Amino acid sequence: MDQNADASFDPSKNYDEDTLAQQREIEKEIAASQAMVSQLHTFDEIVEEYSQEDAIYRQKIEDLKSRFKNLRKTRGDGNCFYRAFGFAYLEKLLNDGKEYKRFLDIAQKSKDELIGLGFPQFTLEDFHDTFMDVVKMVENPGTVDGLFQAFNDAGLSDYFVVYLRLLVSGHLQQNADSYVYFIDGERSVKEFCSQEVEPMGKESDHIHIVSLTKALQIAICVEYMDREGEKCNSFKFNPFESLADDTDTAPAFTLLYRPGHYDILYPL
Amino acid sequence: MSGSSGISAFPDGDNMFKWIGTIEGGKGTVYEGLKYKLCLTFPDQYPIEAMKVKFETPCYHPNVDTHGNICLDILKEKWSALYDVRTVLLSIQSLLGEPNIDSPLNVHAAELWNNQDSYKKVLLDHYKREAARSVSSKESVKHL
Repeated sequence: MDQNADASFDPSKNYDEDTLAQQREIEKEIAASQAMVSQLHTFDEIVEEYSQEDAIYRQKIEDLKSRFKNLRKTRGDGNCFYRAFGFAYLEKLLNDGKEYKRFLDIAQKSKDELIGLGFPQFTLEDFHDTFMDVVKMVENPGTVDGLFQAFNDAGLSDYFVVYLRLLVSGHLQQNADSYVYFIDGERSVKEFCSQEVEPMGKESDHIHIVSLTKALQIAICVEYMDREGEKCNSFKFNPFESLADDTDTAPAFTLLYRPGHYDILYPL
Repeated sequence: MSGSSGISAFPDGDNMFKWIGTIEGGKGTVYEGLKYKLCLTFPDQYPIEAMKVKFETPCYHPNVDTHGNICLDILKEKWSALYDVRTVLLSIQSLLGEPNIDSPLNVHAAELWNNQDSYKKVLLDHYKREAARSVSSKESVKHL
């Protein structure tokens, strides 16, 4: 009888709030156990995450080990792609002044483009300012440790992620005709952006990666580690490939994709 | 913040993390002519985390429960850091006239919705009984 009472619907109870509270508990647990961006790990540490029986994954980690030196993990909070992208790219810019200048110019101009698309100016400026503060940590003189601190400071890191999400949304909306057929569920591109791109914690798919690399004109490589084949499949996202002037298309950095999650890889 | 769109909101005294808002029912809806007071609170992580919004004036509506909690996707999983007080209040205002009757918090209101005449009668009774008090106190807030 008591069990039945527990399982029955209690109209005075707010189940919606309970669900949200439980979700917040899970988020807190993840936040307490995983850094937003971790220190460098070796593959020997990573292989321990998989049991001896998991031969496919263990074999693939050996494959990664033959080509990459380290791995940097990101928090599994649905924002991992953006955080991995942001950290890996700014880290690369520490040693590439020419690319930094190019990026700074794109980043500066992006604000007016997004406002032109109808994003609210006051709020957008707030995120753009913080985004630029983080980007400028690359100069005078930037350090990996400085970026590491910034990407683990929620006030900077989350604002940075929001702005990258807005860049993806802006690119999709500007090029809606090219993307509308890749969106499932009979949604418009704008609806897709407000449901799957702009909210924090919404995971990234192929379409988000294509958009961000095109919006910022950055080529990247993703190593896919799934149960297919014997080695990881590497896939290059090259925003320049449709242009005749195919100058420098070496990927700026490489990410590791394990189902549902992105981390950063460091080559040997 | 105020405007001609039937919504307004002001910080609750010196506390910038708590605002009091008002919404007038949209023209042409059964809520036309009714005013509701809401309480908006901002968590530490705002705007990364959604603001919390509750009806202070009891509101008879399919997506509002007896405690004033609102079931609206943009306040939950579809929250985006770009939303502000104005966009949220406008969304709630349009929710009044266009409820989501498939996932109701108030089943009674959801079932009655399709019969707009009966709905309006129950709504007005409810409003007169429960809401009149808080609306008269709200008038003084609005003209501050």
